[in-house]
Amino acid sequence: MTKYVVLSALMFAIGAFGAISRRNILIVLMSVELMLNGVNIALVAFARLWGNVHGHVFVLMVMGVAAAEVGIGLALIIALFRTRRTVDAGELRDLRG
Amino acid sequence: MEDLIRDVLGDPLFMGCALVSLAGALTVVIRRNPVYCALGLMAAFLSFAVIFLKLSAPFLAAMHVLVYTGAILVLFLFVIMLLNLSDKELGLEHPRRVRAAVGVMAAALFGLVAYVAAQDARLQRGASALSAEEAKAWGGVEHVGMELFTKWELPFELISLLIVVAILGAVVLAKKKLPPEA
Repeated sequence: MTKYVVLSALMFAIGAFGAISRRNILIVLMSVELMLNGVNIALVAFARLWGNVHGHVFVLMVMGVAAAEVGIGLALIIALFRTRRTVDAGELRDLRG
Repeated sequence: MEDLIRDVLGDPLFMGCALVSLAGALTVVIRRNPVYCALGLMAAFLSFAVIFLKLSAPFLAAMHVLVYTGAILVLFLFVIMLLNLSDKELGLEHPRRVRAAVGVMAAALFGLVAYVAAQDARLQRGASALSAEEAKAWGGVEHVGMELFTKWELPFELISLLIVVAILGAVVLAKKKLPPEA
């Protein structure tokens, strides 16, 4: 079971790297999905370890929330692109003090 | 640590899935073209589904392919194709030194979690083996369904409410304001 937890940590770390170090908002969103998937692997591994399916139900909730979040995030990106014509997160500076 | 390496090397299916998901994940965070990143994400998602199958979670594996690969990834590709980004609209990336520093921090995070996980005795002992008839039904549709619709009924209803709200929000946000027909 250790290897599954290590894989989950690896996916989470790579997703965190992408979410912080990329400027393209689309790819930041994809990296966040990668992080959520890493957590899903850990949940399923622990469900198998402890022998109940609570972990599976949790994963279904995570999948539902991730789908909702991606839907809203992409709608925001489309609305943003219509006015700004860029997906570069560094260009979004209007709220800066 | 040596047990972990021996465990991974002795499990070719897991090693294959881990390598594919690693390659896909690195493609997502390194490539500039968002279509390549989406393809890398797809490879990672499919390898995760195989890992779910390996962990006796057939229902979740099917749900994973349907929801993540079949809906979320397709939505990503729709938006990428719809935006049709030119090189200028794609924008710059952070300088290489900044990305390297973040990479070091992410590697430190991974090292910390992996080190702590490798010490845990309960994880090393592994899961108890399932009997043949148990293995057929465990993690299947009935098993997860019984749990979901009896004990976790309220979260299930709340999730459906969340998804409806998200759909409405997405429609409102992305709707094009047409000029009124006077």
